[in-house]
Amino acid sequence: MESEAKKTAVVEEKQYNLFKDAMKRLAANKLAMVGLIVVSLVILIAIIGPMITPYDFLSQDLNYRNKAPSAQHWFGTDDLGRDVFSRVIYGARTAVIVAISVTVLSYLIGIVLGSLAGYLGGKVDAFVVWLIDVFMSIPSLLLVIVVNVSVKPVLVNWMDAKFLETQNQFFRNTTWVDFAIVFGSLAFIKWPKAARIIRGQILSIKNKNYVVAAKALGVPTSKIIRRYIIPNSIGPFIVSISSTLGEAMVLESSFSFLGVGVKPPIPSWGNMISDGLRVWQVYPHILAAPALVLAIVTISFSFLGDGLNDALNPRQWK
Amino acid sequence: MGRYVLNRLLRWIPSVLFILLIVYALVFFGAGDPIKLIFLQAPGDVAYDPVRIEAIREASGLNRPFLVQFSDYVIHILKGDFGNSLVSGRSVNEMIKAAVPVTFSLGLSAIAIIAVIGTILGAIAALNQNRWIDNLIVGFAQFTWGIPVFVAGPLIIVFLVLVLKMDVPFGWGGLFSPKVIVPLIVMGLNPMAIIIRQARAGVLEVLSEDYIRTARSKGLPTKTLVFRHILRPVLTPVVSQTGLLVIGALNNSILIEKVFGLPGLGRLTENAITRSDYPIILAIVLIFSFVVMTSNLLVDISYPLLDPRAASKKKGED
Repeated sequence: MESEAKKTAVVEEKQYNLFKDAMKRLAANKLAMVGLIVVSLVILIAIIGPMITPYDFLSQDLNYRNKAPSAQHWFGTDDLGRDVFSRVIYGARTAVIVAISVTVLSYLIGIVLGSLAGYLGGKVDAFVVWLIDVFMSIPSLLLVIVVNVSVKPVLVNWMDAKFLETQNQFFRNTTWVDFAIVFGSLAFIKWPKAARIIRGQILSIKNKNYVVAAKALGVPTSKIIRRYIIPNSIGPFIVSISSTLGEAMVLESSFSFLGVGVKPPIPSWGNMISDGLRVWQVYPHILAAPALVLAIVTISFSFLGDGLNDALNPRQWK
Repeated sequence: MGRYVLNRLLRWIPSVLFILLIVYALVFFGAGDPIKLIFLQAPGDVAYDPVRIEAIREASGLNRPFLVQFSDYVIHILKGDFGNSLVSGRSVNEMIKAAVPVTFSLGLSAIAIIAVIGTILGAIAALNQNRWIDNLIVGFAQFTWGIPVFVAGPLIIVFLVLVLKMDVPFGWGGLFSPKVIVPLIVMGLNPMAIIIRQARAGVLEVLSEDYIRTARSKGLPTKTLVFRHILRPVLTPVVSQTGLLVIGALNNSILIEKVFGLPGLGRLTENAITRSDYPIILAIVLIFSFVVMTSNLLVDISYPLLDPRAASKKKGED
């Protein structure tokens, strides 16, 4: 009798500690913890960046160009005598700003379209699914390039006109246009993935026996959503958000590598790699510093994503 | 089977048309005035002469409504004519004809290598589950999974040339020249992980099936077992990733061609972006989307051939 009571107690405890369990599993996964630490570090550096950079990322020292890494310049200097270490740190800022904004934007679109499709079903669902399929079959790099080259002139012209009208210096700064376009165009290609996950979650949980039972018992909808739907769908949701963050970071770098998106002098790891490609035979540090940092960050994201997936998706356990 | 194929085909046509419409609309409403764009590049100041601009617009039919111009464009494409470059005035068809073999031969061979080696590695890992070779392969996959090609490429070059003092040839000398080896390796590394994981999971699943136990107890040699009973059901999930591989290969080709200086569609795209040469960008987007959607179609059609159960299931759905 007593042991039975104990058993149910244990079971109940487990039910109520889904997150503690998940955290325990994540903490046991060493690679995932390394990933988590690196990712948190990058976000921290992005926030406090200006406080820890030894030099301004724009300040040039033309007497001190293309210098190899040394005690004063940890990652050396580039062709304009700018400190590469400071630029890499500012690059983290660019990467994190883009990653977070793009993830938020694409999930906003994804949640609206995905839940519409999941709840309404029928023709709406069929249309959204078709839209997702179509968007997923356009090579994303090219779609962003098209959005970039086509929308940017319009926005820049509008900014120019606004500046002439208001004389407000804010409208002279096209950096914000670059950022806005990067956010928008990346969200444009990332929303289908978000929508697909949300729709899938809603469809799979909506018809689960416990939800049907709760409905039959007259549990109010808000409570059903709070108690049953959100806890059961949060796992895959967190996993997909973490992977979207990582992907958005890589995409941002690939665009600035190709010369669309965030433009110099704003440092992005992508445009630093692209600059480094021109001089790598003589000054490999200019290429290697941002490339190694980006490699470490992307690997960390993939470790973290894997760990989260194992920790949060108990259905996949064997 | 016939109805199934027809059904897929009927879905394929509106998807391609829809992509065409999105991209054309983006360029049409966003890109700015094509005539001005042409003459801003040309000598003289025709671009600032509204009367002549209007005359040229009238003559080239660019003042007609959007849908008329769009259908005109579609008709031209159906005839196989992508128009002329805004910058050089050369026929886009010619430029693309020169670039397509580079990108496609590279992409196709990368996909073939990835599919074959990835499946083999995945199968080896699964057959040696939890032994060192499994850990090695899975670790390798996890490591290369995150690193984008424009990071791996430069780092590998720097390593080969500056650390190992190897002579890495650059440029394009056809698919069978040694110049192609390094770019192919770089293109293969990243998406290989997808296939390794799929194949490993697939083989593990099949290994637990009853018919494998029967075959084993019958005393079938491992070789026969693998080739006759395991590989075929594993190929279905692997083939289902082909669409993803194609998108990945096309995206990567744009980046890799910049890293290694290859004269393919990627370089054409990059040059077209910097000069806002819209007809070329439009044509490349269309070709890429066409390739992706067609490969998706082929995957859909090939499912029933690999796994007869899929056809009846799909029929039930429609």
